[in-house]
This record gives sequence, C-alpha cells and structure tokens, in this order.
Amino acid sequence: MEALLLSTIRMTTPILFAALGELYSEKAGLVNIGLDGIMCFGALAGFLTSYITGSPLLGIVAGAAGGILINLIYAFCTITLCAEQIVYGMAINIFAPAIASFIYKIYFGISSTLQKAPLMSAISIPGLSKIPFVGPIIFNNTLVTYFLFILIPVSSIFFSKTHTGLNYRAVGEHPKAAESLGINVIKQKYIASIICGALAGIGGAYLTTCYIPSYTDGVVAGRGFIALSAVIFGRWTSLGVMAASLLFGFADALQLRFQIIKPNVPYQFLAMLPYICTLCALAFFGIKKNGPKSNGKAYYREQR
Amino acid sequence: MKQILIKIGVPILSVLCAFLISAILITVIGGNALQAYHYLMMGAFQNFTNFGETLVKVCPLIFTGLCAAFAYRCGVFNLGGEGQFLMGATAAIWCASLIGGTQGAAGTVAFSVPGIIVCLLAGLIAGGIWGAIPGILKITRGLNEMIVSIMLNYVASLFMSWVYTGPLRAGSVPQTAAVAAQIKLPRIFAGTRIHAGIIIALVVMAVLYYFLFYTSAGFKLRAIGFNQTASRFSGLHVKTYILIAFVVSGAIAGLGGSIELQGTQYRLMDGFGGYGFDGVAIALIGQLNPVGTVIVAYLFAVLRTGATMMQVGTGIPTAIINIIQALVIIFAVAGTAAVNLPKIKQFLFQSIRKKEAL
Repeated sequence: MEALLLSTIRMTTPILFAALGELYSEKAGLVNIGLDGIMCFGALAGFLTSYITGSPLLGIVAGAAGGILINLIYAFCTITLCAEQIVYGMAINIFAPAIASFIYKIYFGISSTLQKAPLMSAISIPGLSKIPFVGPIIFNNTLVTYFLFILIPVSSIFFSKTHTGLNYRAVGEHPKAAESLGINVIKQKYIASIICGALAGIGGAYLTTCYIPSYTDGVVAGRGFIALSAVIFGRWTSLGVMAASLLFGFADALQLRFQIIKPNVPYQFLAMLPYICTLCALAFFGIKKNGPKSNGKAYYREQR
Repeated sequence: MKQILIKIGVPILSVLCAFLISAILITVIGGNALQAYHYLMMGAFQNFTNFGETLVKVCPLIFTGLCAAFAYRCGVFNLGGEGQFLMGATAAIWCASLIGGTQGAAGTVAFSVPGIIVCLLAGLIAGGIWGAIPGILKITRGLNEMIVSIMLNYVASLFMSWVYTGPLRAGSVPQTAAVAAQIKLPRIFAGTRIHAGIIIALVVMAVLYYFLFYTSAGFKLRAIGFNQTASRFSGLHVKTYILIAFVVSGAIAGLGGSIELQGTQYRLMDGFGGYGFDGVAIALIGQLNPVGTVIVAYLFAVLRTGATMMQVGTGIPTAIINIIQALVIIFAVAGTAAVNLPKIKQFLFQSIRKKEAL
C-alpha cells in the first residue's frame, strides 16, 4: 500500500507539472495541446544535460529551458501571427519529438545501445519523514516533487488573491477589456507561454532524470494529453488540477503494481488503465465547460 | 483566383523553406546537403522499383491524411487516425484468421476477391466504430474530441499489441501469421511492390472530393466546419453531421489499415502503424483538400523512401526527414495564419491590385 502511494506521487509529478503549465497557459487564453511535444523535448534536454554533466538537477533546469524554447515557437506563431492554437499545438506535437529524436541520434550515433544517465536521488526531510505512514510517502521524494508542493498553493493564491493574478486571468477572460485597462495583453500571453513551456519541460525532464535513467522515443507516452484532460477535469483550478492529476497518477501506479502481482493478465490491458481512466473521468465528470472565456481565440490587437 | 494562388503558394514556400533549413542543419552536423538531397532523390526515383516503393509507402499516408482532412472539414479534430488505422488492420487480420485466410491455417479455402473484400470491409467497419467513439462522446457529453481520440490511440495500440502477442500469435516471435496469398491485394506492376491499394486510395480521394465540393451534404458539412452556430440556426443537424464526419473519417483510416495489412505488411507485428500524426500533418499542409492531401502524402512518401539510401550513402540519419516534415508543417500553418493577418492581407491584396492596374 505504501509502495503504491509512493509510486502514485512519482507518476503524478510529471502529469501535474504539465497540467499546471497548461493551467497557466489557458488562464491567459492560450490552449496549448502541444504539451506532449514540449515534454518530449524537455525529456531529451534533461537527459542529455544530466548525461553530460552528471547532475540531474542541471538536467531539470535544461528541461525547463528546452521547454521554453519550443513553446516560444508556439507563442510567436499563435500570439503574433494569430495562427489557430489547436492546429499549431498539433504542429508542435509533430515537430518537437522529431527534433528530440534527431538530436539523440546525432549525439549517440545511429545504432547505439541504450545510454544511461544518473538519476536524482530522493531526499527525505529530517523529522517530517518520520511521521508514520504519511512521512515516507510525502516527505521522501526528489527535489522536483517538493518544488511542486510549493508551486500548487502559490499558484492557487496567485490566481485568486493577488492583483497580478487577477490581471493575468483577465487576459484569458476578456482580452479587449484587459487591454483597455492598461494590461499589456501580448506581453502577458508571452509570459504565460514561458511559464507553460518551463513547467511542461520540467515535467518531461522529470521522466528522464528522476524516473527512468534513459531516453527513448515515446518516453512521454501521452502524458501531455493526460495533463490536458487533468486541466479540464480539474475545472481550471490549481487544487482541482492537482486532484485530477493524482487520480491519473494513481491509475498509472496501479497498473504498474498489477503488472507485478498479476503476471498472467496480459500486460497490455493493464497498461490501458491510465488512458481508460482518463476517458471515464472525462465522460462522467467533464461535461460542464467553464474554462476561461476567450480560451483558444486569437487576439487581434487592432481589430474592433 | 488570388485565394487559390495563396493556398497553393504557402505550402510550396513552406516545403522550400523546410529543405533550406534542413540543409543548414545537415551542414552544421558536418554533412554535404546537396549530396544528401541527391541521394534522397536517387533513393526515390533511381529506377522503377524505387519509384514503385514510393507508391507503396504513400498508401497509408493518403488514408490517414484523408481521415484527418475529412473530419476537420466538419470542424472537428480527429487525431485518432492512428488508432483507427490500427484497429482496421487488427480487424482485417482477425477476420482473415476467422475465415481461414492466414498462412498455415488448417482449412485454407480458395477464395480471392470475396475474401479480400470481406477483410477490407472488416477494417473499414472497425475503423468506423473506433472513430464513432469520440464522435458519440463529443455530441452527447461535450467532450474534447482531441483528447478522447488520442487516448483511444494508445488503447488501440495496446490492443493490437495484445492481439499479436496473445490470441493470434504464430511462432516464437511476437507477431501474427501472414495472410494467405488469396487474401493479399494483387500487385499491379511486375517487379515492384505496387498493389491495388493505391487505386483504392485514389478512388477514395475522388469520392471525397466529389462529396465535399459537388454534393449538398458535402456543402452542409463544410458549412458546419466554417460556423457551427450559424449552421445550427439555419436548421442543420450539427450533431448528426459531426457524428457522420467521425464515422466516415474513422472508416477511411480503418480501410487504410486493412489495405496496409493486406497489401504491404501481411502480418501484425511490433512497429506496425505510425502514420496517424503524419496524416494530420499531411492534411494541414494540403489545406484540407483531398487532392492537396494526396500530393503532400506523396511528398512525404518520397522522403520516407529516399531516406534509407541517404543514410547509407552519406551517413546522415533518416531522422532528418522527420525534421523536414516537421518544419514543413510548422511553416505551412504559420504561413497560412500569417497571410490572414489583417496587415499582411492588406499588403498582399494591394500588391496584387497594383500589378493588375499596370
């Protein structure tokens, strides 16, 4: 049971990072379905950096930087060129994994064995990790997960209680009104993209620096899209997104656990669990649409 | 006229830009770009066998491309082409094994045309059903069709993997038995692997083109794609059309899956598929036009065919063609958006008008 819950936290972390990134993006009116691609590039950047420098922490930083880099392409095309966000997100989903796989092949040669990089080790917080049951699960994780523990309450307070956060949300709800109140909508959207890219990049880098020590094509395995549904399922609030991500992370942990204890069930059916769980969660609870009002719409500054 | 010019110009320009940037990339990693492109073209057009190979590779791309294009014409994004393709192939091999049409099956019967058609239909129906799921969830529960169809891709891929490792596994390697010779699509040119699938692909393209642009149902479908609200108020059954778009789109991909199985691969195994996202890219670059889609699909097929020879000849990894493809879509989508920007639109039309005045 303890192992299962610990594994849940581990599986939740990448999803939750990407989902928070998407939350920041959608609050500024940018639907980014390119999360999967950004995570993929983040995973590669993280892996390469931690392979070369031997420091997983630098890998995480590189993942964030890589995520920002990819997402700036998205930002330029959707914000400045007003390209359709959904279509462009899809373009990113095709572009980023291709470039990640290319860089990997160039660096390690065409036919190479699986390369391994160091993994980030868990840090147990003295004192707190001694609490029975809860301690070893929550206070015995990697630095990245602790960062998440800080990030969630901070985002929650930022969006609901601070002036900047309200301005930020105004951009996603009604950009024209926001602009007339002196908020620089374009700048705000770029900031949102940078935050989104960084968080999704970290989510991707987590996979290759904290979870498995190698990079393979398809390492992200649709987690970007699961994160996307976590935002919808979580009703566009930080805490809701966290709950949704925990559910999807739990499904993922559960199927890994089942694969060990039930070896005679075909593993393919167990591996379907996270995806089917996401579908069911959306089908039963995802009907009400209350995302930011001008989500997904391009903002033409000069247009009336 | 101007619209058409822009519609054709943007993709062509994007392709050129993509090749240019990839050339720079090749030079940076220490290769000779001209030589690489030379080998790329040689690999695709050196002789009739290679040319035939491009026509073999284009088949699945046409189907997944048309699948994405058709759904998006109705304003819904079907990203599940991959899943529908795989389900189509799985249904086809399952059907073949049921009627004794796999190699080594006990009661192999001598049937050719009916057997082929039954298996193709099985793929078509399976794809249609798999495509209907996101459609139904969209119109009844209002779910985002993109997420649903992507999730179903993973489910389909795992299901296919179960089929070739479990019930239909033949031998020690996890793969199914090959389909019997009677079930294989006939080859239409001796000495190449070109099979009848390419003809089916072109027929599907023609039918879709006719349907979309020359029938009233096609017009209504496109109208819904342009503006759902307006279409609803003018009395169209938006939900029905969306569901139809999904089912037809899924059926196209499913048919593509069974054709790939019966025409090229003959068996399910690891690595079957991988055309879904390329299909989306192809549809977008082809401006959602069936003919444009087929042309872009052919370009992608040429790249895929030539890449192997380029890798052998110059040592540049085949992954470079993924970069070229990805850059084309990046530029094509950005370019399409850019020419629609108010400022640029004005500039374009003014310059065209000036030319006409002269």
